[in-house]
Amino acid sequence: MTSNLKGNLESKFALKVFSGKEFSETAFPLATNQVNINSQTTLASDKDNSQHVSFSDHDDKFWQEQDNVYYLEAPLAKVKEICCYIQELGCPLVLMFANDERNFQAGYAVYYVFAVREEGMLVVIKTKADPESMEIPSISNHLHAASGYEREIQDLFGLVPIGHPDAKRLVFHGNWPQGVYPLRKDFAVGQKPDFAQEKIRFQEVVGEGVYEIPVGPVHAGIIEPGHFRFSVAGEPIINLEAQLYYVHKGIEKLAEGQSLEKCLFIAERISGDETFANSLAYCQAIEKIAGTKVPARAAYTRVLFAELERLTSHLGDLGGICLDAGYGFANFQFQMMRGWAYSVADELCGMRFLRSVNKLGGVRKDFVSGKEAKLIELLLNIRSELEDTVNIVKSNSMFIDRVENTGILEPKIAVDLNAVGPGGRASGIRYDVRKAFPYAAYPNLNFKVPEHNNGDINCRMNTKIEESFEAIDLMIQAIEGMPVGKVCEPIAEVKPYRFAFGLTEAPRGENIHWVMTGENNTLYRYKIRTPSFCNWPALCHAVKGNIVPDFPLINKSFNLSYAGNDL
Amino acid sequence: MFDTLKKIIKYPRLTQDYPNRSLTPASFLGQTEIDTAKCNFCGECALHCPSQAIVLDKSARSIGIDYAKCIFCILCEEICQVGAVQTTNKFELAVRDKVTLNNHALCANALRDTPLSNKSNGESFYKTAVINEENLPNTSYETICSDLQATVKKIFGRSLQIREVDAGSCNGCDYEINALNNPFNDLERLGISFVASPRHADMLLVTGTGTRNMQQALVKTYEATPDPKLVVAVGACACSGGIFRDTYATNNGIDALVPVDVYIPGCPPRPQAIIYGILKAIDRVK
Ligand code: SF4
Ligand code: SF4
Repeated sequence: MTSNLKGNLESKFALKVFSGKEFSETAFPLATNQVNINSQTTLASDKDNSQHVSFSDHDDKFWQEQDNVYYLEAPLAKVKEICCYIQELGCPLVLMFANDERNFQAGYAVYYVFAVREEGMLVVIKTKADPESMEIPSISNHLHAASGYEREIQDLFGLVPIGHPDAKRLVFHGNWPQGVYPLRKDFAVGQKPDFAQEKIRFQEVVGEGVYEIPVGPVHAGIIEPGHFRFSVAGEPIINLEAQLYYVHKGIEKLAEGQSLEKCLFIAERISGDETFANSLAYCQAIEKIAGTKVPARAAYTRVLFAELERLTSHLGDLGGICLDAGYGFANFQFQMMRGWAYSVADELCGMRFLRSVNKLGGVRKDFVSGKEAKLIELLLNIRSELEDTVNIVKSNSMFIDRVENTGILEPKIAVDLNAVGPGGRASGIRYDVRKAFPYAAYPNLNFKVPEHNNGDINCRMNTKIEESFEAIDLMIQAIEGMPVGKVCEPIAEVKPYRFAFGLTEAPRGENIHWVMTGENNTLYRYKIRTPSFCNWPALCHAVKGNIVPDFPLINKSFNLSYAGNDL
Repeated sequence: MFDTLKKIIKYPRLTQDYPNRSLTPASFLGQTEIDTAKCNFCGECALHCPSQAIVLDKSARSIGIDYAKCIFCILCEEICQVGAVQTTNKFELAVRDKVTLNNHALCANALRDTPLSNKSNGESFYKTAVINEENLPNTSYETICSDLQATVKKIFGRSLQIREVDAGSCNGCDYEINALNNPFNDLERLGISFVASPRHADMLLVTGTGTRNMQQALVKTYEATPDPKLVVAVGACACSGGIFRDTYATNNGIDALVPVDVYIPGCPPRPQAIIYGILKAIDRVK
């Protein structure tokens, strides 16, 4: 169905589809000029290639560079039609972002990214917003997943999505003045506009006996801040609106103009418990731009760390679900295992949060050699304890009663909102970045992706349990299969105005970074989309019809990151 | 049921007896230190430090790390050509006085040797507009504050209720605070527990940079906490803004918004480092 998507797009809309490399050269002539000065020969041969390129050529060298990403530039008027067409083929919108490209072509560019998951391919539609009217046509009525992105773009760039069903503010609260847009290039990162006082409007549900419960931003537990507005009639929740972005720190703006090296440390701090997944996505993007092939030992090491992060995160979530259901014993069991997972991290790198492990081109040092036996012993210990605990938990019918059929995320909604990770997999979505867009050493390792359909807490819990076992097995495979050799291929210099995606499967799901380099080894634009951004709207749907006391439990079963969403 | 009992008997006690017993020397990474004797003042580390935490004065041949800003990334150790930078496993870094964290030439040693008992916290109250002046009797700030501090310690010495506030963190620090309740640290054994509302709290444990959107909520939480109260800043973000300093959406540390009693450096600080900081705030460690 999708196999000839590229051809269909070209013929149906009379547009040319480019590979990532060609596209950067045609779209950013500044870059070509620059390269021209430095190395005329390479440029000439590149140009040659681009003229004779056909898609089958690209498929042959699929593993190479950014060849699984195709770009297509479309006029503003056609965007909606193209997006709807691609969605109808079953390819979800996974990312949408804007970029201030006034330096190149006097305008703001908007990128719509679709994933062709069966083929491990990304299709990017690029369009230019009208610089006079600053308007783009909204596609949210047709692609529900676009709603959040369009509001984000409106807040950060001032591009108005015309026809959006509810285009109120997203990133900024009432304290941000109108007409100030931080991601425009003429806004300095340190600028602090005056505080405005605008009232925030929430979705209103009216009717007899309907009342609102406001919760947050400071919660009762030790969690991150966010404001939840429940509309309830008696116990059941009719509607939930989450106001987030309390921890918005301006990460995307902060990264602009900073050295590639520094941005790695910023990437590590996007979301604490997804440190490795984020730094890996960033590294992969830069490595693609630089054309670096990561040494095999580093690729295996990365799998080891990525799976350790997943295990740690899932154990914590499982404990949290038990705790919120009042099942203290099981919580302590999971927390104990989580503690053990942290000691594996200490053993490996001396840091509980797997920071300062990744490096552009590989990993910082050989973290594994000499520790293999000890690590495997620790991991097997966690595995056997996990087996015992899971057996106990699953035979506790009172607990299972509580989680079964609670907080159901309907498969249709999951698809529409592009729910990812365990949240999506529990609702029938068969997708894992590690399989669809394989990276690091995953193509060489064996693992199964859990498949569940009911979409309730129980399914999400089972998904996480199965993934924890897979994670332990993957780590052991990685340790055993790790070839000897160097662990880093240093990256000296990167061409300006080149861009690439970095995709990883974070513990919470699909994690996408889009990086565009600037001059002198800096970043021009860094777009980060963590899985939490997709799953927050899904959570708001999953709680509907459930009773308020089940909200913490449902929330825990998703355990989304506020920091990763708010940036 | 039988299996549950079996597990309970199998793991009777996991709790580490910190601070009564120090942690078994481990390989974990703690404070990074620069040895001024070995340093050749090339300035490479200061140039690359992602958090601009290295203070360097080439002409005075003096160098040091501002631990309020340091994100403990060990990049400087990797960069240093002459091996002057060393990462230790010291983690008990909490201090009362922020200056101690960035006392330029002194930073390497001063941190651990500060005589804590004769440090006055009074001045931190000057920074805030939160305390209402009319409410104070006609005595000087200093007297009130030092009396207050003494009382606080007397009152909170044995039992302390904490409210955690995330004022814009990456959630790393929050997970470490969460870990204080796990079976390994079990903070309640020290008479310290977390409460759901600031109105029941004696201490606010604050993480994050104090973002623009959390600013009001943080100040309101502070005001809702009954006096006397303590505020502990956890992590580089809360101490100085950390790596997120100077953006349009952040403050450079929460002391721009509320008075802070103890600063705990780290990114994130280990759970034991947080315990150390909490105990320091109530004078249970010297
Ligand atoms: S360890 Fe601290 S001082 Fe050294 S480079 Fe990292 S942030 Fe800078
Ligand atoms: S200090 Fe570090 S770990 Fe703590 S919130 Fe800030 S970035 Fe995260």
